[in-house]
Amino acid sequence: MPTKSILGMSLAAVLAVGTVSQSLAAGPEVVSGPGVNPACFAPFSDQTKFLKFAKKDPPYRIALANGFVGNTWRIQMIKTLKAYSEQPDVAPMIAELKVVSTGTDVAAQIAAIDNFINAGYDAILTIAVNPTAFEPVIRRANRAGVVLVPFDNVLDSDEILQVNEDQSEMGRIMGRWLVNNVGNAGKILEVRGLPGNSVDRDRHLGFRDIMGSGGKYDIVEVVGNWDDGTAQKVTADAIAVHGKFDGVFVQGGSTGAVRAMIDAGHPFVPVAGEAENGFRKLCAKHAEEGLLCSSAGQSPGLVAIAAKTALTALQGEVLPQYVSVPIPLVEHPDFKADENYYPDLTDNFFTPNEFPPCDVNITAKEIMAKSEGDQ
Amino acid sequence: MKAADWKLRTSQGQGLLIAIAVFLLMFTLYVGNHPAGLTVPVATTAANKAVLLALVAMAQTLPVLTGGLDLSVGMVFVMTNCLASSIVSGEPWQVALGIVVVLLAGALAGFINGAIVVYGRLQPIITTLATGAVYYGIALLLRPVPGGDVQPDLADFMTYTVFEVVPTSLVLLLAVVLIIWLPFRHSVVGRGCYAVGSAEGAAYMSGVAIDRSRLAAFTLAGLLAGVAGLMLTFVTFSGEASASIGGTYTLNSIAAVVIGGTSLYGGAGGAIGSIFGAFILRTIDDLLFVFDLPPLWQPLFQGVVLLGAVSLGAARVFRIKNRLELFN
Repeated sequence: MPTKSILGMSLAAVLAVGTVSQSLAAGPEVVSGPGVNPACFAPFSDQTKFLKFAKKDPPYRIALANGFVGNTWRIQMIKTLKAYSEQPDVAPMIAELKVVSTGTDVAAQIAAIDNFINAGYDAILTIAVNPTAFEPVIRRANRAGVVLVPFDNVLDSDEILQVNEDQSEMGRIMGRWLVNNVGNAGKILEVRGLPGNSVDRDRHLGFRDIMGSGGKYDIVEVVGNWDDGTAQKVTADAIAVHGKFDGVFVQGGSTGAVRAMIDAGHPFVPVAGEAENGFRKLCAKHAEEGLLCSSAGQSPGLVAIAAKTALTALQGEVLPQYVSVPIPLVEHPDFKADENYYPDLTDNFFTPNEFPPCDVNITAKEIMAKSEGDQ
Repeated sequence: MKAADWKLRTSQGQGLLIAIAVFLLMFTLYVGNHPAGLTVPVATTAANKAVLLALVAMAQTLPVLTGGLDLSVGMVFVMTNCLASSIVSGEPWQVALGIVVVLLAGALAGFINGAIVVYGRLQPIITTLATGAVYYGIALLLRPVPGGDVQPDLADFMTYTVFEVVPTSLVLLLAVVLIIWLPFRHSVVGRGCYAVGSAEGAAYMSGVAIDRSRLAAFTLAGLLAGVAGLMLTFVTFSGEASASIGGTYTLNSIAAVVIGGTSLYGGAGGAIGSIFGAFILRTIDDLLFVFDLPPLWQPLFQGVVLLGAVSLGAARVFRIKNRLELFN
């Protein structure tokens, strides 16, 4: 073989590449359910199909193609992934973990995913910057037999595994809780999230779904952008204009919304909010004065579920195409210091990180121990 | 005389030569450390991403040569992307017509910029800040939510390779250089752009058609941004009216122009340098991929390397004794 001419070798290489690309062109196989470990990997709906990837032997090379980096949620997400990859039962399965953040440029994120595919990574996790632009890269991933797992901001595709929490269900949970705690009638303040975002839309529609069916509610809607500062300001404005509310639903920036109520001398009422540490601190502190809270949120720990999904797929197990991650919910009177909120950590810390059905139990201390500079 | 002539030409092309050298160095570093080495897919991935910015940087070069910044190139890029995601699909004739309309729309946007600058006598930077917002508004109207479609075979071909060897996007870039840039550069109007940028008063006294040169520079910038918008549609198979993408490409195009050795004061440099400036910028991103940098250190690293690259591009200006040396 070494004595053969270069021409012959390159011809053989071309032929080999041709055969390989044909044999791998299929991507995951569509199979019938149920999938493995349904308590953790719950299908999103009855229509969700099930996928099965070819089994590969560990250890695996895993990549995260992140979009922009810079808010606390993303930073905590990256730290969580590192902490998860070092868990004793996970570490032996991972040969390499690489994180690249490409900013908001969709072409750069596509190129990052392509790069990971070209470099032969086994699985790529991603938070897509745009739900529609990844169709060609999905095909390239499937062709190369790479497990691509978008989570949080998911893609419009049913050909790859995806991981998210059910956002409209989250809205419905908050709606039901308010109905139970406010009664059949009252004035409700709804602080919405970032306009135009599907998460904002789905939570809002789920919430209105419950509030609209029975009960007489006067709902005042303001836009808080999921940001403490904005939520605090719009809540203060709403209190100034409308006087007293009987209940509050805030999608994000819950700490700010509650602060605005305290500052305005508004009596404490039931608040359904996100899962920020600051919000839960306030809930625990003022519970006896009437600040009843329900707290659930989009956890940065989703990345751990996405990683677990990828690892499970690489082992050749059957998984639902769209995994619905259980919503981490804590309601009054279950707020407990150092268990589901952390008096020593900052207000910006996102509390829910543990998903017992998935055996993902990374503690806050483990996450915070990962400095951003740690590779 | 001949030797002196050669020396002059080399010194004029110094910015370009430095840019090429820096790019080759960085790209070798990248490929050398890439787990897969220099394979066709690795080159194609790098080319697709780099050509997008290279086209926008070429677009930015033209107004800069005449002495003005175009803050709307990124938004024209986004607008033509949204337009292409709506009309470049269907039958072959529809696809061809769609492409022509997209390019014309880009050129029209550029022409409007130029007309306001020339006849409205407004500063280019202010004019294009305003028109950029208008073009973004049009993009939002065309595509309120991300989506759309493009002819898939054509898009696959444009983002893949010719004969499984050369990335098609590089061929496109070469074609743009040969068909648009070089003829323009050597035309009377093109030379007029350099003349306007280096000394407008002198150009006027010498009878250079100043208005026509300016107008041509902005129109061509719009056209090139339109080619880039079309290419983005092929890469993403969709359109998105994203203000952040428009802003990112505008700012990066200015950086690429500077790295490529074009003077921001106008009158010196060229689009070839900007292409390599864009390649350098994109390779900086790629270096993050091969070197294990902690994620939160990546923007800092990008910034420091960018600063170094820009300084290198601008350094020759400090060493010049007579500004005339800069001009061709």
